[in-house]
Amino acid sequence: MLRSGRLFNTISFRLAALCAVLFAVILAVLLVFTYFTTSHALEDQLRARVKDEFTTFSEEVDSEGADAVVKEIDERIVKPTAPGSYFFVADSSGHKLIGNLDAVPVIPGWQKLSASAAGRPAAETAHEVWGQGKIFPGGIFIFVGQDAYRVVTAQRSLVLAYVWSGLLAGLMSLLAGLVLSRGFLHRIDDINKTSLAIMQGHLKERIPLRGTSDEIDRLSGNLNRLFDSNQALLESLKQVTTNIAHDLRTPLSRLRNRLEEAHTGASSVDDLRGEIGAAIAESDQLLATFAALLRIAQIESGSRKKAFARVNLSELGERVASIYGAVAEDDGKKLGAEITSGVFCTGDAELLLQLIVNLVENAIRHTPKGTGIVLRIASPATIEVADNGPGIPAAQRSKVMERFFRLEQSRTTPGSGLGLALVSAIATLHDTKVDLRDNRPGLKVRVALQPV
Amino acid sequence: MKLLVIEDDQATAEHVRRGLSETGHSVSIASDGRQGLEKASAASFDALIIDRMLPELDGLSIVKRLRATGNHTPILFLTTMSGLDDRVEGLEAGADDYLVKPFAMPELLARLNALARRPHVSAVQTTLRAGELEMDLLRREVRRAGKLLDLQPQEFKLLEYLLRSDGRIVTKTMLLEHVWGFHFDPQTTVVETHMSRLRAKLDKGHDHQMIVTQRGVGYRLVA
Repeated sequence: MLRSGRLFNTISFRLAALCAVLFAVILAVLLVFTYFTTSHALEDQLRARVKDEFTTFSEEVDSEGADAVVKEIDERIVKPTAPGSYFFVADSSGHKLIGNLDAVPVIPGWQKLSASAAGRPAAETAHEVWGQGKIFPGGIFIFVGQDAYRVVTAQRSLVLAYVWSGLLAGLMSLLAGLVLSRGFLHRIDDINKTSLAIMQGHLKERIPLRGTSDEIDRLSGNLNRLFDSNQALLESLKQVTTNIAHDLRTPLSRLRNRLEEAHTGASSVDDLRGEIGAAIAESDQLLATFAALLRIAQIESGSRKKAFARVNLSELGERVASIYGAVAEDDGKKLGAEITSGVFCTGDAELLLQLIVNLVENAIRHTPKGTGIVLRIASPATIEVADNGPGIPAAQRSKVMERFFRLEQSRTTPGSGLGLALVSAIATLHDTKVDLRDNRPGLKVRVALQPV
Repeated sequence: MKLLVIEDDQATAEHVRRGLSETGHSVSIASDGRQGLEKASAASFDALIIDRMLPELDGLSIVKRLRATGNHTPILFLTTMSGLDDRVEGLEAGADDYLVKPFAMPELLARLNALARRPHVSAVQTTLRAGELEMDLLRREVRRAGKLLDLQPQEFKLLEYLLRSDGRIVTKTMLLEHVWGFHFDPQTTVVETHMSRLRAKLDKGHDHQMIVTQRGVGYRLVA
């Protein structure tokens, strides 16, 4: 199960959180900007109205005297021309002469008064009075103000909207992060679970794919392929180990039996010599098997690659054909050679000689009498050994390249079962594969090498 | 022959000593590389048998040092190092032959004989002879008692090697290496096939069998 602590530690959550922070910053900038522009616009309107009125009064004070203005203000209070207008007039000592405000500090210039100054109930704090005051010659102080309700409420609702939308956005991005990282974690958990299962021996487990071909799907696909090759390697290792154990056990027990017979049954020195001689031959066969296994391992290590050079395949083919023509003939088969001259490849001459020899020997040893075998060296850099013998069933063609694999019919022929495995190892060293085909009838083995 | 065996494994050294002494050779043993180099430099031997993995000084270094000081005693590496490059490496260091353990005593003997009696300066020979057998290397012709034999190229090469071996035993692996250039064991009777064909042509119409099979060891040409 997912623990919540892990959620916050996932990469996707951290990314989501980073996005949320970034989003909040952008939102804040936007909000501050709109707040100031909106409230400025509203405040400017209010100021303009106050200023208009004030200018009218100032001009009247200049032309008709303060008393006339006081009188007019009184009228305006009784019969307001515009709603929300406030006035306050005080004498030089600061006493209120007239006005619909209780008290205004006698300070010239722009002032913001709280709603209580306008005699509003405590709940209506938004009804602030914003206005301008001036002390006229003679000491009279006139304050003209406006109810700033619209400005204040607009500002307040803006702030409120900011707070709410900010909270909501934060919460949503947090949630999105959680959902994303949960999904991400689930898939990582799948990978972890699968690899753990494989480590515990459940080699067939694979990471489920979603078919979305996103990064995690691609990663999972690659890991699955890795697990495939791991499984194949382990299986072939297991098979090779079993085969080695089995195939070495048989000659070892034969050896043991011979020695036992010599030990208990031999009645003369000659008998003893004979048995021991056979035992030595048996152990030589075992040693040869080991040598072949070692050779395959060495070839597979790839160290011979550094010694690759230009190899005259035609010459190798001629040599093998001239050596094995007689061997095939003595075995009741016919070895023909179709060799194109001047065929070269890049590789290891000694190993390629062994490859050709093994293929030819294989054809000689595993076919019935009367079989025709052809060794072909063709351009570009191709070795081919074909026979018209019984061939290999298609299903078993890939298996014959494995170490110790022997077809049922060849179980009785002596041999280590390593000949084709060695061929395969040599081919792999040369970056190529051994191609087994139906020769209709028979088997055709082809190895295409790297031409020079 | 006077032989020096440089081998740190006592059992192997003793096995080699016994086998060689039985056939009439005198054998000295050195059990580490330094001691081996000293002995090989101090006295003259007919051949040296050297292991590759030795304490103090490895076999390869011994051979290189001996060759560097102008010592041309025939050297045979007797080693478990059977890697594909190991043999080439050993021969390039200056050894004359390379035998991988475990080995058959007759194989070691045959190879030592081939080494020790090898002429240091090989004069260019155009004709090889053994009794009534004559091989003309230039014309690629072989005659027995004056009668021309019709030999296949493989048979000719095989006979040439037997003739050059001068009546000494040659083993199957020696033939595979020197006649056919095979440094691996074939799974078919390559040697036997060519040997029996050569033998049939060589001895046809003669009572004296020139090629003798030493059972479990190898072949020998008898004049």
